Amino acid sequence: MQDTTKANLLAAWRQRKRNLAHGWYKFSRNPLSVIGLAVLVLIVLVAIFAPYIAPYPGHAKAYTNFREASQAPSAKHFFGTDRIGRDIFSRILFGYRFSLLIGVVVLSLGVAPGVVLGLIAGYRRGTWVEVVIMRVTDVFLAVPSLVLALAITAMLTPNLINQMMAIALVWWPWYSRLVFSLASSLRNEYFVKEAELTGASQRHILFREILPNCFAPIMTKMTLDMGLVILVESTLSFVGLGVQPPKPALGTMVAEGAKRLPAEWWSTIFPALAIVIVILAFNLIGDGLRDVFAVEDV
Amino acid sequence: MTEPILEARGLTKFFPTKRGTVRAVDDIGFRMSPGDTLGLVGESGSGKTTTAQCVVGIYAPTTGDILFHGRSIGATAAKRSKELKREIRIVFQDPGSSLNPKRTIKQILATPLAVHHLASGREQLARISALLERVELPPAEYLYKHPQSIGGGEKQMVAIARALATDPSFVVLDEPTSALDVSVQAKIINLLLGLQKEMGLTYLFITHDMSLMRNVASRVAIMYLGKLSEIADTAEFFQRPLHPYTKMLLSSIPVVSDEEESLKPAKGISRGEIPSPVNIPPGCSFHSRCPSRLDVCDKIDPATVEVAPGHVVRCHLYPGPQEGSS
Amino acid sequence: MPNSSLLLEIRNLHVGFRIFEGHLRVLAGVALVVNEGERVGLVGETGCGKTTTVKSVLRVLPIPPARVAGGEILYRGRDVLRMHRHALHVLRRQELTAIFQDPLQSLNPVFTVGSQLRDIVRDSMRTPEGRALSRREIEARCIQALEETGMPDPDRIMSNYPIQLSGGMRQRVCIAEALSTTARLLLADEPTTNLDVTIQDQILRKLDRLVDQKGSSVLMITHSMGVVRDLTQRIYIMYAGSIVETGPTRQLLASPKHPYTQGLMASVPRLTGRGVSEGIPGRIPNYLEPPPGCRFHPRCPHRMPECSVEAPPMFDVGADQRAACYLYRRSSS
Repeated sequence: MQDTTKANLLAAWRQRKRNLAHGWYKFSRNPLSVIGLAVLVLIVLVAIFAPYIAPYPGHAKAYTNFREASQAPSAKHFFGTDRIGRDIFSRILFGYRFSLLIGVVVLSLGVAPGVVLGLIAGYRRGTWVEVVIMRVTDVFLAVPSLVLALAITAMLTPNLINQMMAIALVWWPWYSRLVFSLASSLRNEYFVKEAELTGASQRHILFREILPNCFAPIMTKMTLDMGLVILVESTLSFVGLGVQPPKPALGTMVAEGAKRLPAEWWSTIFPALAIVIVILAFNLIGDGLRDVFAVEDV
Repeated sequence: MTEPILEARGLTKFFPTKRGTVRAVDDIGFRMSPGDTLGLVGESGSGKTTTAQCVVGIYAPTTGDILFHGRSIGATAAKRSKELKREIRIVFQDPGSSLNPKRTIKQILATPLAVHHLASGREQLARISALLERVELPPAEYLYKHPQSIGGGEKQMVAIARALATDPSFVVLDEPTSALDVSVQAKIINLLLGLQKEMGLTYLFITHDMSLMRNVASRVAIMYLGKLSEIADTAEFFQRPLHPYTKMLLSSIPVVSDEEESLKPAKGISRGEIPSPVNIPPGCSFHSRCPSRLDVCDKIDPATVEVAPGHVVRCHLYPGPQEGSS
Repeated sequence: MPNSSLLLEIRNLHVGFRIFEGHLRVLAGVALVVNEGERVGLVGETGCGKTTTVKSVLRVLPIPPARVAGGEILYRGRDVLRMHRHALHVLRRQELTAIFQDPLQSLNPVFTVGSQLRDIVRDSMRTPEGRALSRREIEARCIQALEETGMPDPDRIMSNYPIQLSGGMRQRVCIAEALSTTARLLLADEPTTNLDVTIQDQILRKLDRLVDQKGSSVLMITHSMGVVRDLTQRIYIMYAGSIVETGPTRQLLASPKHPYTQGLMASVPRLTGRGVSEGIPGRIPNYLEPPPGCRFHPRCPHRMPECSVEAPPMFDVGADQRAACYLYRRSSS
């Protein structure tokens, strides 16, 4: 008995490995996604090891050096320096830390409640439970998310924590909407009917039967949303409602540089490009994931 | 007659829709003895699946009742006792949809055991392995597989194992083999017949395949647009089909030998479309396609008549006792 | 010079699919013939390669992942696989026609039945003088085509959208489309599988009569032995990518010779009610590593040592009946 159990677990593990390999194969058939993934890995590594990689780690904090202010890109400062002499390249590396941190925190705050509410509403479609949950969701969705996030952050003191809370608050309805539509079609599947007829609890049906079948679209959406969250964060920072100077948020940097366009173009263009690249990377990965999860019929 | 295990009395299920009421099941009645296999045969829209779903409790009947061992069970599963859910189980048509693609076979089979507190831990694994062996799937090979990595026939065997996990006495088989190839169907049917003998099961077998019912059912019932047209013991049913619709069905079956060809009724060439269940023709619902239509057929719905012991027909051609047989 | 009555000939067709796990060797030397005016059935179970065969003939296989590894598909002596795009277009438009299992997939949901039918007639029909048809002639031809399939009220149907029709009606529209033209070869891929048995019976009888009238040839792909028995003169039994047996339909069904065909016939539930056989043990092989030799040998009750060495050729087993099985080696000269 013991032996067969071990053999079984081994077989299960092999099966999982095969599935992963298959998934990677499908992902890798889209070269753009692989590039996106490579870029993202690079960005994550760079963000983690910023203090060791950045040529001037000290420039990420309050620092002034007017002698080297407003210098164009050169071998000494790859992306030039800003108006108080800080190395833009170093600040971008640190800026990615905020972007990624905010993306991860916002999604982990926003996705869980959105998914749970969507599951409940989708499974109980046609009852008052669905009406309450989905109408609240609709109210949130009706207001443009950027405007709402702006309003919320403006009411609170602009800082990192409040900014993350504000974005998370406008983000969950998208997930409840997504999971609602998935769950309301999945509940008609016969495996859900069977679980009901067996007498399984609602919790079992929601989290064991329905939820696992929603993972693929949720994962895909989260990847695509990472880019969007970073964009919203940058926008908030751009209008001054996010990470406060001298901390190096990419949006803040774009805003500061924009005042000195077109002469000191580098102080805007490079942070802006940094934003574009990370968003693009997430989007390319998202596309690849969609291919991985797509049902194939051969 | 022995005490029936299941009885439908005036069972009716209507669905209100925007275009009108769908009379999915309209006043049907039948009795099943323990160990029976009742073949409920019909085409699309006949209400055979709705009947099955009322029996297992996906729907509650609009009117009428279903009795299980003489007790009323005409309610949805949510209102039924756990005991009842253990006794009456179902196998759905499409194992692709009835097995959760994200769960392993072990997890799938563990659910009924856990819900009904039948086994847990190591004992549960042993029970699951025994169930898989019962449906002739080697446990070591299948326990940790996901449904999508096994064949259609094997999936259906897992679905059967799941139905049997609670040791039921009554199993509804909703077209269990119609999505499968004949060589696989043969295997599943043999398995089902073996299990029936072994465990003393009673089957309500929903299908559109008359040839299959000839070989599987002990009684056959024909449904057309929500009503039972004919019901009889299998041998009698195929030797002496009476209802014009039964004849039409039998003569439409594509067969593979001359011997079978000779068993098909000569009169009964298929014609006409199956009417929409929202717009059921008045009188006898079959009159629009019936080759032996009488004047009364589009006016009065015929009564159900027992023309021979256990052989019941609903047709004006068999008007019942005042002219007839008894 | 090809035989004048030969319409379609598939010679030693090999088709594979490249997927993540490797190379699926699906068709392993399919050979079949459809003569002018003949009705032929291609019968096999799910995954045996029937549909791949039809798609190869129509040249609609997605390449890649599919790959034709060898063989020829000759339509009146010309190889379809090596035809140029234009020639292929003419062939599909004027010579071949197809009916598929799911009419909703072959009918466009946003156009009326009439507009789809008119397009087909306009593109594929010419008057005897070679002139394009006038608008009135097209209309008349369409109505006639619908009437021929037994459709009540064809004028109304012409202005309906596919979803407004029942499954049987839709399949009648597909048949009308297929037979409205002067095409010589009709490829029917499980045309009645989704239909109720009484409707299937009507459609098959209609198809039978129409094909008779037009003298078209038919290649009917199905898993149903009963359907081919009613509709075809000769059948091919396919298993795991190759033809295992062929012969006149009724004769073959009455006395199948190949062990696979025998197992299959024993599995068909009969109206005579003598019970159901045990089925065929095992399952269809994995095309990644198909068994060597005869692909049926791992499931075969009469397995011999040579079966796993080399795939058997066709041996004569009766009048016009041939089976790819070493059991019949001696009976062949």
